Parts: sequence; structure tokens; C-alpha cells
Amino acid sequence: MATLVHSPPGNSVRLTVMQGQFKISAGPRVELSTVLGSCVATCLFDPEIELGGMNHFLLPEPPASHSRGEVDVHYGVYLMEMLINEMLAHGAHKNRLRAHLYGGANIRSGMQQIGTANAEFARSFLLRERIELVREDLGGVCARRVDFRPASGRVRCRTVAASDAPEAKSQPVFSQVPRGEVELF
Amino acid sequence: MSRTTRVLTVDDSASMRALLNHALTSNGFAVSQADDGVSALEWLAVNEVDVVITDINMPRLDGFGLIEQVRGGTRHRDRPILVLTTESSDEKKARARAAGATGWIVKPFDTEKLVAAVRRVAH
Repeated sequence: MATLVHSPPGNSVRLTVMQGQFKISAGPRVELSTVLGSCVATCLFDPEIELGGMNHFLLPEPPASHSRGEVDVHYGVYLMEMLINEMLAHGAHKNRLRAHLYGGANIRSGMQQIGTANAEFARSFLLRERIELVREDLGGVCARRVDFRPASGRVRCRTVAASDAPEAKSQPVFSQVPRGEVELF
Repeated sequence: MSRTTRVLTVDDSASMRALLNHALTSNGFAVSQADDGVSALEWLAVNEVDVVITDINMPRLDGFGLIEQVRGGTRHRDRPILVLTTESSDEKKARARAAGATGWIVKPFDTEKLVAAVRRVAH
């Protein structure tokens, strides 16, 4: 799910961050890209070590009815945690992190307001974790394309056709990969 | 009547602490929380606990440091300590084991497996 992306000298590398993924990089020629409908992407940047990362989550948190044994890494609460931990593991400091939030649109009428819920979750998560939110482009009814240069923290966000955005499901797709594995020593 | 099992969760993510708190309290555990290793040691200095669940990557004092200090002390040195982490490297798992961890659980956690592990090490 996660990748530390390196870029060979002279070559630009553009990588797509899909639903349920996150990637980090300090490569000056690396660009992390994603297309968002109701999903939200978080771009985190530590300016001191010029390291950045992006996640792309589908839904905010497990619902209260979330039954035991069901785990899904598409939830924002996990992908935020994983992105932050991966950046800390590569030298970032939490108190230096700066965040951008994008997405959270409600494109398709008749669906639950998933975009609004995702946007509210992302804002409140950053507030709880005391991570500075320096820019957001959330909500509305348009899909967005986000291109993030993780080594510089620069972001370009533009509106794209709704048909370009991956379809968000109102119910989570439970991971087939075993999670939460326990090993007692 | 058996006593309620007391669990200390140590994680710098408020959201993850909330998830853990919900998962554990709804299964009958008494849960206390700390946001890093230093806070956990301060709490442990004046409170009793049956099981500690700790993250690895935390500010001030990480999970490895917390385990080492608990094992090096006297008050809680024999308490089970479960590591709950997004880390998946064998090297870090081996380091946790060498420091004295009782078990290793990968995030995102599965409530049923987590609860079973806590019950198993608590008794």
C-alpha cells in the first residue's frame, strides 16, 4: 500500500495514488497525482527535510455498527495514521508537518453526502492531531485532479470532468488481505 | 466475580486512541490513555495496570524506549506489553521482542484479534 518513491537523476516520475493508498517521497523530480470525487487526499509536507506524502481515502471512520473482525484500510483514520507514521519513520517531525486537503465533493445526487463527511473528518483529524492546515479545496460538486511535489510541498489542484473521478462506493469494500495480525512472543 | 482488566493504550494519534478505547471498553476492559512514552511512564508511576498496548512511532519517547524503561523498572516490569503498529519490518519486530515486548499487532487492528490477544496475555 505504501511506497517510499525515489527518482533517478534526470527523470521525472509521476505516480498515481489510488484509493486506499499512500506514498511518500523526498525525490525532487517525483510528482504524486490523484483524481478525486468524494474521496479526500491529504498532502503532508515537512519543509525542513523536504519530505512529503499523499494519501487517498474513501470513507472517514468505521461506523458505530462496524462489526468485529471487519477491517478496511480505505478508512481515513487508518490512512492518516499510516501516512504520518511513514513520514515520521523517514525523519519528519509531527510538529513541522503542514497539510493540504483536497476533494470531498458530492458529485452524484442521491448518494449519501460522503464527500462532506470525508471533508469534515479530515479537518477534524488535523485539528485533533495539531497538524497545521495551510490550504484546502474541499466540497462542491466537481471532481478534482491533484498534483503534489512532495519535496517542495507545491500542489496544483484543478477541476476535471466528473467521469474522470473514480466512483466511490457507499459501502466499504472489505480488504481480503488479513489485517490486525497478532503474534505473541 | 473477576476484576475488570485494566489496559493502558499509548498512541500519539488521538483518533487511534479513540478507536482503541471504543474497541476495548465495548468488550469490558477499563481503558486509560497516554499520548506518548513519557506520558505513559508518568501515568504508570502512580497507577496500576494489567496490560499495556503501545504504538512505536511517537514523539518524546517511542514505543521501544517505553518498553525498555518499563522492563528496566520495578513497578510494572512483569506486565504484558503489546505493540500495536503500522510497522511491518522484521527488524523492528525483532527489536521490540528484544526490548521485552509480549506481542506484536499490526494496524489497522482487528477488534476480535486484539481483544483475544489482550485477554490471553492478561491472564
